[in-house]
Amino acid sequence: MANAAKRFEVIPGQPRPQIAFTEVTLQLGGKTIIENLSLGVRAGEFLCVVGASGCGKTTALRLAAGLYQPTSGRVDFDGQLMLHPRREIAIVFQDYGKALLPWRTAAGNVSLALEAGGMPSAERPARIEELLRTVGLPGHAGKYPAEMSGGMQQRLQIARCLAQEPKTLLMDEPFGALDAMTRQGLQDEVLALVAASGATVIFVTHDLDEAIYLGDRVIGLLPHPGRIGIELAVNLPRPRDQLSTREHPEFLRLRRQLFDFIKATEQ
Amino acid sequence: MNRHATIWLWRAASFAVAASFIALWQLIANLKLVSPVFLPGPDRAWASLVRGFSNGDLWSKLAGTLEHMAYGWLAASIAGIAIGAIIGSSRIMRTYVAPSLEFLRPLPVSAIIPVAIAMLGLTQAMALFVIAFGAIWPIMLATIHGFAAVEPRLYEVARSLQMSRLAVIFKVALPSASPDILAGMRLSLTVALILSVVCEILAGLDGLGHWVLLSARAFRSADLFAGVILLGVTGYVTSVAMSMAEHRLLAWQASQR
Repeated sequence: MANAAKRFEVIPGQPRPQIAFTEVTLQLGGKTIIENLSLGVRAGEFLCVVGASGCGKTTALRLAAGLYQPTSGRVDFDGQLMLHPRREIAIVFQDYGKALLPWRTAAGNVSLALEAGGMPSAERPARIEELLRTVGLPGHAGKYPAEMSGGMQQRLQIARCLAQEPKTLLMDEPFGALDAMTRQGLQDEVLALVAASGATVIFVTHDLDEAIYLGDRVIGLLPHPGRIGIELAVNLPRPRDQLSTREHPEFLRLRRQLFDFIKATEQ
Repeated sequence: MNRHATIWLWRAASFAVAASFIALWQLIANLKLVSPVFLPGPDRAWASLVRGFSNGDLWSKLAGTLEHMAYGWLAASIAGIAIGAIIGSSRIMRTYVAPSLEFLRPLPVSAIIPVAIAMLGLTQAMALFVIAFGAIWPIMLATIHGFAAVEPRLYEVARSLQMSRLAVIFKVALPSASPDILAGMRLSLTVALILSVVCEILAGLDGLGHWVLLSARAFRSADLFAGVILLGVTGYVTSVAMSMAEHRLLAWQASQR
């Protein structure tokens, strides 16, 4: 299993990946969290990352965000070395309650991203309204996050991320804390939003079904230290459907393969 | 409806308690249990208040005290928030400066007064320095705590939005610390009032402290009590005003409770 890690190589004639990890190693506090990770994500690709807890999924996402710098190796975005976070890369955090400003209303939270982007204040209200409508929160502009349900708060965080007009959307177990019904609804909404905007997505989840349902490609990480253990292309037709996609023989085959992989890593 | 009635009942009860205290005071004064030279009844204290306001004496004294208090408090607030923000937003600063703060904080302000008088004389500048020095601690310490306790996730959001340092301070850190800062400012209000009175007494500056001192020396007990009552009212009113301002500014917190 350990040697199954694939090296990422630039293939001549192929477009340059939008996000490229090249032999990335990250050590934190003397511990190797991620070792020799190479990975390329194409523009417009929906990549899902799964793995047992402690395999460095979230850390890999933070490297892609520029919130961490690798100990060795490099992370590139659009062919440029990633030295700091950038506005074209938006992050949807799992803990939406902590990632929103509690003293700002829903509109104010979306506005934060528009202000950071330098949009003139006269243009903001219309854009805010449009974004809140996009994520299914019309009429909630004046509410504070604490007055909203978990699902609504996560929608709000997505709205703020969309306000960045990101080329890449990084999602860290965004629906992990939500109930099953809300989660399925949001999965479909995210797929529709991404299809409409053409953004690249790296989606970290511990839910294997969710990974296959959403992704163009699923990567399974091995723990201690984190490295790639399995890579599956998901050739399921789009648009995906909660019932028929999940019953598709290919879905079931991938699901079996992924479950076996995770089971093996846990032993 | 029932809850409303309960609130009014409590309010009525608390007024009844206050009224009975005043009645008791009047009774003691009427029975001359304490010499009228030292203890006037509420009737005489009230008459003195009315007289003082109608001839303008008390107005100017009240204005003097409010001025000392306001300038000292505002200076303490501005300096306390600024210094607290600088210390609180950097872990290195906190580590280096914390021991010095721990030494300075418990230092009684009264110990500073002779130093201030020696350096600045019996002047308004001395009063401003002493009041500001005493009132800065609750604000500064609250600001340090507020800045240190900002949710780290919000700083990450700010970084991914590539917000400027100034924008991070004004849009993230300061609002996040505002409940702590306002609580510190409310505590400092009381400190500022106390020190205003002390400075007026020591330096003979125009204000209620001076009025109280002169009244006591002249055995005008009614005037003395009028001054003390007015100081009590000043403390109460400023504190209520501060609470109302806090309530308004922190309306967003109401939804979290």
